Amino acid sequence: MIGEYLENLVNLVDAYYLQIFVNIGIAIILALGLNLVTGVTGQLSLGHAAFMSIGAFTGGILTIKLGMPFSVNLISSGLMAAFFGVLIGFPILRLSGDYLAIATLGFAEILKVILLNLDITNRALGLSVPLPNTPIPLPIYVWLTVLLVIAAMILIQNSRFGRALRAIREDEIAAETMGINTTLYKIQAFAIGAFTAGLGGCLYAHFIAYINPSDFGFSKSVDILNMVVLGGLGSIPGSVLGASLLTAAPEFLRFMERYRMLVYGALLVFLMIFRPNGLLGGVSVRQLVCKALGIKPRPRQSLSTDSNMEGRRVK
Amino acid sequence: MFWQQLINGIALGSTYALIALGYTMVYGIIQLINFAHGEIYMVGAFAALVFVMIFKMNIFLAMVLAMAVCLLMGVVIEFIAYRPLRRSSRLSALISAIGVSTFLSTLVLLIFGADAKGFPDHVFPVVQIHIGSAEISSLQLLIIGISALLMLSLEFIVHHTKIGKAMRATSQDYTTAALMGVNVNLVISFTFALGSALAAAGGVLVGIYFNAVSFNMGLMAGLKAFAAAVLGGIGSIPGAMLGGVLLGVVEVLGVAAGYSSYRDAIAFAILVGVLMFKPTGLLGQKIQKKV
Amino acid sequence: MIKKISVLILIIFMLCMSVYGAAGTVKIGFMGALTGDVAMFGIPTLAGMKMAVEDVNKAGGVNGQKMVIVEADNRGDKPEAANIAQKFISRDRVAAIVGDPTTGITKVVAPICERNKVVLLSAGAVGTGVVELGKYIFRNTLLDSVAIPPLVDYFVNEAGYKRFAVVTSDNNDFSVSLTQVFKNAMKGKKAQIVADEKIKDGDKDFSAQITNIKAKKPDIIFFSGYYTEGALLMKEARKQGLNVNMFGGDGLYSPTLISLGGKAVEGSMVYVGFFPENPSPETAKFINAFKAKNNGKLPGLFETQGYDAIMMLAEAMKRAKSNDPKKFRDELAKIQNFKGVSGTITIQPNQEPIKSPVYLLEIKDGAYKLKAKVDVKVNK
Repeated sequence: MIGEYLENLVNLVDAYYLQIFVNIGIAIILALGLNLVTGVTGQLSLGHAAFMSIGAFTGGILTIKLGMPFSVNLISSGLMAAFFGVLIGFPILRLSGDYLAIATLGFAEILKVILLNLDITNRALGLSVPLPNTPIPLPIYVWLTVLLVIAAMILIQNSRFGRALRAIREDEIAAETMGINTTLYKIQAFAIGAFTAGLGGCLYAHFIAYINPSDFGFSKSVDILNMVVLGGLGSIPGSVLGASLLTAAPEFLRFMERYRMLVYGALLVFLMIFRPNGLLGGVSVRQLVCKALGIKPRPRQSLSTDSNMEGRRVK
Repeated sequence: MFWQQLINGIALGSTYALIALGYTMVYGIIQLINFAHGEIYMVGAFAALVFVMIFKMNIFLAMVLAMAVCLLMGVVIEFIAYRPLRRSSRLSALISAIGVSTFLSTLVLLIFGADAKGFPDHVFPVVQIHIGSAEISSLQLLIIGISALLMLSLEFIVHHTKIGKAMRATSQDYTTAALMGVNVNLVISFTFALGSALAAAGGVLVGIYFNAVSFNMGLMAGLKAFAAAVLGGIGSIPGAMLGGVLLGVVEVLGVAAGYSSYRDAIAFAILVGVLMFKPTGLLGQKIQKKV
Repeated sequence: MIKKISVLILIIFMLCMSVYGAAGTVKIGFMGALTGDVAMFGIPTLAGMKMAVEDVNKAGGVNGQKMVIVEADNRGDKPEAANIAQKFISRDRVAAIVGDPTTGITKVVAPICERNKVVLLSAGAVGTGVVELGKYIFRNTLLDSVAIPPLVDYFVNEAGYKRFAVVTSDNNDFSVSLTQVFKNAMKGKKAQIVADEKIKDGDKDFSAQITNIKAKKPDIIFFSGYYTEGALLMKEARKQGLNVNMFGGDGLYSPTLISLGGKAVEGSMVYVGFFPENPSPETAKFINAFKAKNNGKLPGLFETQGYDAIMMLAEAMKRAKSNDPKKFRDELAKIQNFKGVSGTITIQPNQEPIKSPVYLLEIKDGAYKLKAKVDVKVNK
């Protein structure tokens, strides 16, 4: 009953916009996860798409083989990705800076090759994923997840945990001196990031309806990183904006036909030059909103969610 | 067969090293992972192809001209895309590099089309030289030789010339170097010029060696070179050479042992494994954490 | 507030209607990559399609309407391909979508087309599990599972090859499924697979694999991937003094194989559904027209399949006397012995295409020459 009603509701929206809108939603989930790892904690990861692939294949295989309820399926995908996040994060998070970056890239490439050689992933032929087992239409599911992830990220960033993560980004040694177990916190951040990537991957698999290990390569990881950096490192509204813009950009630029990616590349360069800290880096959206509504913003501690120096320093 | 595979591996590794040398040098000076480096290598190969095919030039002349083209391009790219970002987050420069890379590969695709192009067969005389049961081609020898030569000359430039001293000063402390009278802009431009010319040389040699030049050859080559540079200890010039050769040999021996489907995984597994035990690569300097 | 929303909905509705109203043309969407890593398949497909549309319109169009191609570049990116499919259907109101030349994206686009009852005719998807995705999903490629068994018979019994080296491109779905088909066909034959090597699309260095293969002394190399890697593989083989030939599927059919491979691919064999040396009148006309347009360059496989895709759609539309996909879909499913430029095509009841006969071509003096003609059984 409710399912049918929701289905009709979704059908009211123009199908083309809906398609883009859902892709944006999935991109937001992925970007927010990476934002926690790279933006907030300052650990550059070039392998985020690997966790997405774990979520996508876990979700896809669960639907194909077991036809489990989609909510169970979604959580399992996230957990599986988080498990791998811990497994991989444990050894490599000792590394710092670009050595960590290449190690994450390396793991992503290794995972891709392994998935290409497994029977359960159907090797290079990939899997066609059937519709998920849920009465709720997928677009609504995606956007509910987006809202949940945004809420969770706001809570995390404003918690003691989030402040510890930011302390690690600003100065790892100082943070350690202050009694923060940096390795543990980094692994936790990594696991949460992987969990959201798993959610994103599972939703992606069911929405796109076909997955292939090659889809989750280096370029996909870089796409997600673009969103986070362009939006403004550490900023939740920034990641949302970055993901929305970069997902919609190829559609907006479609009229340029073959010159589109030329413009896209140049656009990336110029956006970075004009907003080196990202579009919303150093902008407090909360203050902007308050200003627009004519309310005096309540003062907050200096390390608020999306203010000041975010994005200046990633080691 | 083992010796043959070892030669295959060293030759392949030298092609990685050719690209990794430029990568590591740029990184050493401004700590930028220059993802556009692979595209410069690709443009170098295409430039030489144009000189050989259209202007009917000798391959060595074409290579020198291709190096000149890329040298200029490297300086221009640094000026437009990286210089304004020198004081911002390093990730901003990384994204800018990705933008440059997308731009260049699309540009080459639009001009030259999507299919791979090859150099004419006679462009470089290839002779097979027999060593026991294995054989090595003159081209393989040339690639190994040139990459070793380039490594030595880079070492010389960096450690025994005035500009090299300025480069090292800039890499140690950008601001202080500037205060001490080093023209850091010039030094960085020089580094990019040198690195890009190296990439072009690599592109031409690899283009002839594999006889295929395509618009998307930069990405994977760039990644492998990046991996090689990190393996050797990023910023270290002999490290890039060592990392490149090691990566090539390990990959080839992996295939020889019958794991051809895991080729890339083997390469990256070695990389991650080495980093576990030597977190700054084989020849990398220890990172000094400033408290 | 409610008023505003309803006005907005009305405006959107009218916008949609205005697009829908554009009468006098029948639109065909081109699904494929014009930039990015798989652009080498998309660009030639579109070129073939454009030539076909010209021919169709010169002959008066279909059912009184001119045919128009709506093109969009999907960069080989799956989410973007899904966006485009939806745009084609709900904005451009296409009657059919031709593409994508790769199996993966075809599988992404297929459920969208099926849901909206728009015909999807893939000019290049060869992997398994494509037409099973729905009633509106077709393809016009050479089906390897029917072409390979008689070819293996030919190679083992008539050519007398006993030792096969198999090379597969691991990240290429076409190659992986072709190798599966080949290995199945080899079962029970008086021949053996002596080497089983993997490469990747985009690799340039095959020295290690060739050294391995050389040590096993095969009679012939079976390579299931595409022409770029095929050419490089043979170059490396000749460099190492391995003098056996290569054979493979129609993924190897491209002038680029010869221009890139040069002398190294002399003697290599590919099988295709058509015969360029002594072609049918349709193929000859196409090849000449293509050469005239492209400075004497020969068409490759993707051009011919793109051309045939449009011609098959036009044929089905004419027979159905309607440009409505719900109607001409049935005629498309019934196509028999369609004289296309990529071969004579029959759509079987299970919607899989069959091209018969299959021609085995050999490269001689830098051109594809006929080596053997192999008949393929058509399941009626």
